[in-house]
Amino acid sequence: MVSDTVSYTGRIIEVDALSAEAQLVERAQAQDETAFEQIMHLYADRLYNYILRMVGNSADAEDLLQEVFLRAYQGLPSFDGRASLSTWLYRIATNLCIDYQRRRARRVQTVPYLAWEDEDGEVGHWESPDTQTPDPMEAALNRELQQVVEHAIRSLSPKLRTVLLLYDVEDLSYEEIARVLNIPMGTVKSRLNHARGQIQKQVEAYLRGESK
Amino acid sequence: MKCTRYERWLWDELEGRLGTAQAQELRAHLQVCPRCQRQWEAARATHQALRALPRYRAPQQLALQVRARIQETAAPKPEFVWWKRVALAPALGILAAAAWWGWLALNPDSTYSTETATAAHSVENWVEIHEQLEVADWSPTPTPSYFITTGYTQ
Repeated sequence: MVSDTVSYTGRIIEVDALSAEAQLVERAQAQDETAFEQIMHLYADRLYNYILRMVGNSADAEDLLQEVFLRAYQGLPSFDGRASLSTWLYRIATNLCIDYQRRRARRVQTVPYLAWEDEDGEVGHWESPDTQTPDPMEAALNRELQQVVEHAIRSLSPKLRTVLLLYDVEDLSYEEIARVLNIPMGTVKSRLNHARGQIQKQVEAYLRGESK
Repeated sequence: MKCTRYERWLWDELEGRLGTAQAQELRAHLQVCPRCQRQWEAARATHQALRALPRYRAPQQLALQVRARIQETAAPKPEFVWWKRVALAPALGILAAAAWWGWLALNPDSTYSTETATAAHSVENWVEIHEQLEVADWSPTPTPSYFITTGYTQ
C-alpha cells in the first residue's frame, strides 16, 4: 500500500512538472524572455556538466552551452513538444559536442582523446558530492577513485561516452537516450554495457594497485 | 560460460533490476568465485563513483551572454531608407551625364569623327545609287517620278 501511494504521488509530481514545463515552453514560444531564462536556469547546470565531460575543457564547454541555448531560442517556434524539453536540449548539446569533436579531431590528429583540465584549472565551481564523509582517508580514496573514473570516461570513444554520461551521470532513461541519439534502445543498452565494461576494467586495475 | 552470465547480472544487481532468486544465485556464486568477486567490487566502485562525480555550476553570466548573442543575431540589418532609394536614380543620371561630358572634354575630336563617319556613309550611299542608275536600262524619256526621287537631270 505504501509503495502504491508513493508511486501514485510520484506520478502526480511528474505530471505536474511536465505540465509546468509545457507552460514554460509555451510562454517562451510567445517571446516571453523571463520564461526562456527560467528554462536556462533549469537546465544550465545539467547541460554544462554533460558538455564539460564531453569536450574536456571549461572554455569550450561554456561556448557550447551558450550555443545550445541560442539554438534552442531560435528553434523554439518549431518545437512541437513531441519530445520532452530535456530530450530536445540534450539532443542539441550532443550534436554540438559531436561537431566540436569532429572539428577538433581534424585539427589535432595525434591526440587519442580530449585533454582535460588540471585539478587547479578553473572548471566552474566545485560542489562536493558528499559533504558528510567523516573519514579524510576515505574521502581521499573516493577522490582518487573519481579521478580514475573521470580518466576512464575520457578514454571512451565519443559514442560510448555519450551514452554512459547520459545514463549514469545525467540520469536519462534508455528511452530518452534513444530519442536524444535517434538510435534503437537495444543499441543504447549495448553501448552502455561496453562503456561500463571499459571503465570497470580500469577501476579493477586501480583497485588491484596496477594503475599509477 | 557460467561466469559470463553472472558478469551480466552485476550491473543489474547494482541497479536493483535483478529478481530475488537471481540475486541470491549471484551472491552464492560470488562467494565461491574470486574472479567474479573482484569484478563485483570493481563494478560497485565504478557505479558509486559515477553516481558521485562532482557537479559543476554553469557560469553565472550565462543568461547575460546568451541574451547578448540572441540580440546580436536578431539585430536587423541596416535598412535601405526610402529617400535614399528615390535619390539614387537622379544621382546616377547626373553621374552618367558628368562622365559623358568629361569624356567629351578629354576627347574633343570625337564629335568630328562621328560626323565625318556619318557623312562618309551618306556619300557611299549616293555613289551606290548613281552606279545603279548608270547600269540601268534607260528609256528615252524618264518618268516624272524618277526626276522627283533622284533629282537626275540629263
